[in-house]
Amino acid sequence: MSHSCATKPLQSNMTTVKNVQNQSGDSMTSNSTRRRRWAMPVAAVAAFTVLSGCAKDAPQDTWQPAGENARKIHDLQVWPFGIAGIVLLIVCAAVGYSVFKFRDRGQAIPKQSHGKPSLEIALTVLPALILIGIGIPTVSTLFDLAKTSDTECVVNVTGQQWWWEYDYPAQAGCGGIEKPIVTSGQLVIPAGQHVLLRISSRDVIHSYWIPKLNGKRDAVPGRVQTLRMQADQPGIYSGQCTEFCGLSHAYMRMEAVSLDAAGFKTWVDNQLKPYTAPTADSKYSEGEALFITNCTRCHQVNGILGTDGKEVIARPDKYVYPGVAPNLTNLMTRTTFAGAAFDLQTEACKTRLWNTPPAQFTAAYLEGVTPQCLDIVQLREWLRNPTTKKPMYADPTKLATTGGMYRGMPNLGLTEDQIDKLVAYLTERK
Amino acid sequence: MAISERNPVPALAGSASAYVTPSTSFGVFKRPVQSTGWRSWVFTVDHKKLGIMYGVVAMIFFIIGGVEALLIRLQLAAPNNRVLSAGAYNQMFTMHATTMVFLFVMPMAAAFANYLVPLQIGARDVAFPRLNAFGFWCFLFGGIFLNTSWFLGGAADSGWFAYAPNTALAFSPSHGVDFWALGLQITGIASLTGAINLIVTVLNMRAPGMSLMKMPIFTWMVLVVQFLLLFAIPVITVALFLLTFQRSFGAAFFSVEKGADPLLWQHLFWIFGHPEVYILVLPSFGIVSEVLPVFSKKPLFGYKFVVFSGAAIGFLGWGVWAHHMFASGLGPVSVAVFSVATMAIALPTGVKIVNWTMTLWGGKLRFTTAMLFAVGLIVEFTIGGLSGVTHAVAPSDTQQTDTYYIVAHFHYVLFGGAVFGLFAGFYYWWPKIFAKMLNERLGKWNFWLMVVGMNLTFGPMHILGLQGQPRRMQVWTAFRAGDGFFNLAFWNRVASVGSFVLAIGVLMFLINVVYTHRTAGVAPADPWDARSLEWMTSNPPAEHNFDAIPTVHELDEFFHRKYEENEATGEIHQVSTYEEIMADEATRADKHIHLPSPSYWPIILALGLPLIAYGLIFARLLAVFGGVIILLAMFGWSMEPSVADESDYDPPVDGGPTKELATLG
Amino acid sequence: MADVAVHTPPADGHGDHSQGHTTSTGLSNNKLAMWMFLGSECLLFGGLISTYMLYRGRHEGSPTPSQLYNIPLTSVSSFVLLMSSLTMVLAVSAAQRRDDRNTMTWLTVTALLGATFVGAQVFEFTEFVREGLGFTTNLFGSSFFTLTGFHGVHVTVGIIMLMALVGMVSRSRIPGDKAEVVEMIGLYWHFVDIVWIIIFTLVYLIPS
Repeated sequence: MSHSCATKPLQSNMTTVKNVQNQSGDSMTSNSTRRRRWAMPVAAVAAFTVLSGCAKDAPQDTWQPAGENARKIHDLQVWPFGIAGIVLLIVCAAVGYSVFKFRDRGQAIPKQSHGKPSLEIALTVLPALILIGIGIPTVSTLFDLAKTSDTECVVNVTGQQWWWEYDYPAQAGCGGIEKPIVTSGQLVIPAGQHVLLRISSRDVIHSYWIPKLNGKRDAVPGRVQTLRMQADQPGIYSGQCTEFCGLSHAYMRMEAVSLDAAGFKTWVDNQLKPYTAPTADSKYSEGEALFITNCTRCHQVNGILGTDGKEVIARPDKYVYPGVAPNLTNLMTRTTFAGAAFDLQTEACKTRLWNTPPAQFTAAYLEGVTPQCLDIVQLREWLRNPTTKKPMYADPTKLATTGGMYRGMPNLGLTEDQIDKLVAYLTERK
Repeated sequence: MAISERNPVPALAGSASAYVTPSTSFGVFKRPVQSTGWRSWVFTVDHKKLGIMYGVVAMIFFIIGGVEALLIRLQLAAPNNRVLSAGAYNQMFTMHATTMVFLFVMPMAAAFANYLVPLQIGARDVAFPRLNAFGFWCFLFGGIFLNTSWFLGGAADSGWFAYAPNTALAFSPSHGVDFWALGLQITGIASLTGAINLIVTVLNMRAPGMSLMKMPIFTWMVLVVQFLLLFAIPVITVALFLLTFQRSFGAAFFSVEKGADPLLWQHLFWIFGHPEVYILVLPSFGIVSEVLPVFSKKPLFGYKFVVFSGAAIGFLGWGVWAHHMFASGLGPVSVAVFSVATMAIALPTGVKIVNWTMTLWGGKLRFTTAMLFAVGLIVEFTIGGLSGVTHAVAPSDTQQTDTYYIVAHFHYVLFGGAVFGLFAGFYYWWPKIFAKMLNERLGKWNFWLMVVGMNLTFGPMHILGLQGQPRRMQVWTAFRAGDGFFNLAFWNRVASVGSFVLAIGVLMFLINVVYTHRTAGVAPADPWDARSLEWMTSNPPAEHNFDAIPTVHELDEFFHRKYEENEATGEIHQVSTYEEIMADEATRADKHIHLPSPSYWPIILALGLPLIAYGLIFARLLAVFGGVIILLAMFGWSMEPSVADESDYDPPVDGGPTKELATLG
Repeated sequence: MADVAVHTPPADGHGDHSQGHTTSTGLSNNKLAMWMFLGSECLLFGGLISTYMLYRGRHEGSPTPSQLYNIPLTSVSSFVLLMSSLTMVLAVSAAQRRDDRNTMTWLTVTALLGATFVGAQVFEFTEFVREGLGFTTNLFGSSFFTLTGFHGVHVTVGIIMLMALVGMVSRSRIPGDKAEVVEMIGLYWHFVDIVWIIIFTLVYLIPS
């Protein structure tokens, strides 16, 4: 079923190529044509399948590129898919015809022919030519996609069981970033610009994949690998870790968000603004105290001050095996948490954000998670016992092989009251 | 069995003292002599019995692996499902792949190869019968060892590809990976000894007149596969040793903090792993290349091209491993080279499809179940092959790799290719092996349910993958499934339903076997009007396979003895029947046939291996014990001649067999 | 090696698949099997050597290879191993002349030379450990000990086979063609020697 299931308007001339695609999808389903009595219903089902056979707006559809790199891949792959479809049709037709025509109806034993070398050679050379035809654009696209010279800014992307950290080094590119930014869950990039991701890992191999923007690239510990990113328009694009990385691999998700240039600048400034202290003498400030006692061992909030008046520096390297935990300074500016496995927003708000047209998207995203939109249930469940929501290695009695270090977040044994206050504190981190 | 033929007189006379016992004890024990009961199987060195045992055990593992697959599909039938926990799910897909690859398809191909290759080349056994038995026991004990991990702290949970460093102790703390690495070492010994054995058998023991280019195509494909195994197994052996040394003895091979390169494992694994794909699928190509000509009443079209393309796949298969690593970050130059090499391997594969189709063309086709599976393979495998070409295109592979599109691709190749071929083989050779015809009516149910089931299961996976569902995911979410009625949730449900249809199809086969063995009469000697040597003997063949070793003049010798072409008219007409040919052969029957004798040593030697493996995991002392068993068994083995001569045996008792009879068998 | 032991005697001249009878290639089954096995072994050592070549420069926390290697000692032990190939040839030639006495003598000498090599290797290993390079110290250590250790195990297995062969020759307990068994073990022994020449060159002589 190699057809694209595009429902959004497509760029350029892709629509015509789509038709070729549909044929190949058709033929794959109808591989049973040789079974005569089944042929008609199967063909009907196949046609029906092709017409309405796939998800509309699947957020990870590889056939709906939304950026330059994904589009290059898309433009390249339609040809092999089309050719494959045609070849399959020919094979099915030849087999089907033979099955029909040469069924034993009492005919004489056929001549014991051992083959026809000229035919064999012809049928080897022909596909060889086709493959050369596919091979040349493949190689050129390959080198095109590996190019890094035209990228305008850099984001370091680091995988860790089971979430992604994004750190933006200080740079002139992307409208200028004065101080490094550390965030997680959602990669934020300026729309239209060529962003270079420098991908690595702190523990096992992960793989970074935002299907609508580019193919995937493994995050290999000890190596830094590059991947180009470019989104045509402001919007949000989902992806998942695609190299099996252990227990919670299925919960290691990511989203890429592209904002217009001004919006991106706003986002950067917001990330770098000084610490906003919680409302004094309230559940917010009690939440801050709880945060310092329970959370800052691992989670950094930039600028948070301890009782001694000094900034509290998290030391996740003492507790977490790969050494880092998500930075929560601006938690409410992103719409997901826990490795993008869960939404901070309610279903309705999320749907609204994802369906916001590009022109309004930047503003909608920069609102962050408003109190009306906050899905308090998810966050409370998480704080009550994280491992029941997302499988992790955080049972202190079972950590012998990591020397007692956690892989994931342990149950902190918080009371409901403490959870209330912590949530209150976190809702102000925007 | 050897002894039973040694000794037919008392059996005829109904005497109880049926044995002539060995007079000499070589090593510790005297030779086993039982010709009936379980001992005649456990100590056998007969390639046919071993072939059957390989088949039965592989079928049991097929069922286990199938149940694992059904559990996986149950878990994926609905979003955020809770049938399996994340840990259990990861173990399940790891063991499903490991079981299907190493404990079902490989040994099932070994079952066919063991049983049929000596018969196809006109030999009386393989070159090293005891080594053959040893291989089987290694496979069985390795398979059992692997599966006991379920009950001893959990099975391996790092995928069958076991990428470092996810297999390190810190990331996979249970003993699962240890079981996996050591279990595969043990089954690897089975593959390696089997490969050496079959290569020597095929190269050295062909019947007079059977040049390489007159060999049956199945034997050819088996030969290519054995060479692949010969050179691929040591590579995975190295990788598994490095892994075991790391986990059990603290070596640094995959410790990134010590500067290790995780891609080392990937290279070693796929240098083995890609030839492995051809190891899985080429035997089935051989099987359908036997089945299609028989039921088309035509020789295989382009026999030489099929042989050479098989060999070409064997060579090229070594140069494409990195196409499993297009997303690993090899750099564009390597990726380009491997991308083009991968496209090149499509050519010899395409040659095979062309030749199979052309074999059908102009034939006289009979659609038995075996033929249906063979024709089914052509189509299903073509789908898998073509989707393979689409991700030989490296840039699009970066979108497709590790998604369900790949799962769809290799299931079309391995289920539509390898497994369909094996089922064609079951139906085709069943009367040869068990002298019973499998029921054709149930067979057709079996075929159609499997075809429908597999296309329902794996067909939708193309859509799932292209629309962005990654593989090895314990859960998928409704949100990422997209909108519309035909969204990914729908296709996941279809695939899950399809997997149960497929399971019912396989169940039909098992029902067929039981039903047939209860009801069916003795099968005719040459039920399919076959073409090759294995049919030029009784069903099932006698212990010594052929009364007289046939002399071969033609490719498809048996057919050419039955039929002749009228040179004037070009008509083919029958000149003799099976019975006439057999009667003719009987006049030349060998009087003095020496067969290898049963032995205790293969099973004892093999028993030492899992002991060492358990010892490495749980108590080193046990490993020492296992090592001692192995040393002693090797000593006993080398002291014992594989063929007993007459002087080994006690003089016949009164009324027992004469010396002359005793030499037979 | 199991392969060696599986052997059918030509005994009474009508064994149907025993050696000493015509085979399709003319090579005896046993010898062909040994060649196949050695072909497979090439890939085993190929994998181990590749691993070593990849990791030999990663010796953080231990002395460097050039500081550790005692080239004169290893050269001598390599020479001893090479000489054992010569004595193996003499053993095979004696066996072919059906000269049991000399066969046993040369087999014993071969085994002794092999044991000397293994002894030198054990000494070398203990020296390395003393100087701070253990099996788990770093990647260089792990891959060095694994590669040379695997070779050492092969030599040791060879010695065991040689000694077993001496015992069996002395009691005339070899099933089948004695000279061929000696020749096969010889093949194995020469292979192990050749592998050592490669290892010695790549590991010790070519600086990283």
